[in-house]
Amino acid sequence: MSDAVFELEAVSYSYLGRFPALKSVSLSIQRGQKVALMGANGSGKSTLLSLLDALIFPDQGSIRFMGQPLAEPRLDEGDFSADFRRKVGLVFQNPDVQLFCPTVREDILFGPLQLGMGPAEAQKRLESLAVSLGILHLLDRAPHQLSLGERRKVAFASTMATDPEVLLLDEPTAGLDPLTTAHILEMLLKAAAAGKTVITATHDLHIVEAISDEVYIFGQDKGIAGHGSPKAILADTEMLRANNLVHAHPHLPWDYHAQRLG
Amino acid sequence: MLALLALVIFAKSLAVLGILYGLCLLLAVASKIDFGFFLKRTLVFIPIFSLFMALPAAFSFATPGEAVLRLGPAVVTRQGLWGGLFFVCRVTTAVSYSVLLSLSTRHFALLKVLRAFGVPPVFVMVFGMAYRYLCLFVEMVENTFKAVKSRVGFVSATRQGQRLVAWNIANLWARSFQMNEQVYLAMRSRGYRGEPVLSQGLRARARDWAWVMSVLLFALALAWAQGKGLL
Repeated sequence: MSDAVFELEAVSYSYLGRFPALKSVSLSIQRGQKVALMGANGSGKSTLLSLLDALIFPDQGSIRFMGQPLAEPRLDEGDFSADFRRKVGLVFQNPDVQLFCPTVREDILFGPLQLGMGPAEAQKRLESLAVSLGILHLLDRAPHQLSLGERRKVAFASTMATDPEVLLLDEPTAGLDPLTTAHILEMLLKAAAAGKTVITATHDLHIVEAISDEVYIFGQDKGIAGHGSPKAILADTEMLRANNLVHAHPHLPWDYHAQRLG
Repeated sequence: MLALLALVIFAKSLAVLGILYGLCLLLAVASKIDFGFFLKRTLVFIPIFSLFMALPAAFSFATPGEAVLRLGPAVVTRQGLWGGLFFVCRVTTAVSYSVLLSLSTRHFALLKVLRAFGVPPVFVMVFGMAYRYLCLFVEMVENTFKAVKSRVGFVSATRQGQRLVAWNIANLWARSFQMNEQVYLAMRSRGYRGEPVLSQGLRARARDWAWVMSVLLFALALAWAQGKGLL
């Protein structure tokens, strides 16, 4: 039996039926795998994450989740929907979208309570997450009072509150300072070490090796331009350049290191 | 608090308003909020603002009666002055109670109280989200104006200012519409299926009920005394 969490077969999606966002994407993600989806802005990474989280559905092609078809009518079934939401969690790129409750505490409790977890158990989960992520002091604060790094941590906590098996992250380190980036990476690696499947969309080359054992590069044609191990992908400067992931100017640190390494 | 506010709104004598304002000050002291800040917030702008609103009522064209002062063709009447003074006192007292509530109670506790009063979870959630995103949109508008200021400096022409405000409104509407869709997806992603399940509201303890009962009794006693003409 296949151990694939997601299997995508020639998936295409366009917004309003007019603006193509993904074209004929086929890939397979195994249980416990760490996958990085890389590409320039507008290459379809966020759209793919929304498809994997069954928030939108393909115009063409098919997606299977743990061997079962992931189609809109199935998500209308209460049992399947609750089971899927329990197993898959998405950390949105914009934490202001994800943190919609008046306080951090309620935001973290939201998911578990919707999915039928008892209040006492949800409370216990909240406390253990708050301690492990160092956000105990933020619980009674309003999300708009938090810094970007704090909001990202809370968004991560609100997704982890349901203890999903599959974690989808959209640009989790965008706009963060190095220390907060390190904190986020640490949380992410802890989740991976706990056996979760972690799929991260990013264009931050510095974190790719740490967060993935398989990398998919998305091109401007909204399809997969290449894939492989992080080492192989990062060494292929030609492909990175062709897909706007590195700059052609030799003064940039990335090119400097690439030239030094030959 | 609602009973006291209702009493302020329906008060017919200055004595009742005075008692209610005194009680408000006592509660402010007991709440351990910054008393100076509370007074500054309630006694600086609110009476002045309400005075401006009440000013026309002091004149005979709005409130006919016994003349006490003539300012050219305009006549100030005793009844008008009394009505204006009463209006200012009523507004100051009512606003003081509202400010006391907002300074002494966090907004999410107020939302929990709504749940304790049996307001359906979907309404409580909508109120909470409205508050949450109001703050975000205010921040966005503030940042937009800062950006404008940094690029073009002070906007002096009225027409230019109007255009700027119109752009801001349109931009905010577009962004809120876009965000509305994304927030809904974020809710669905975490298992929301149209019927929110919220964390438990506040549980009223014996002393809370005792407080509610004493405030109600006080309000009823005051209303009775006012009705009998004792105050």
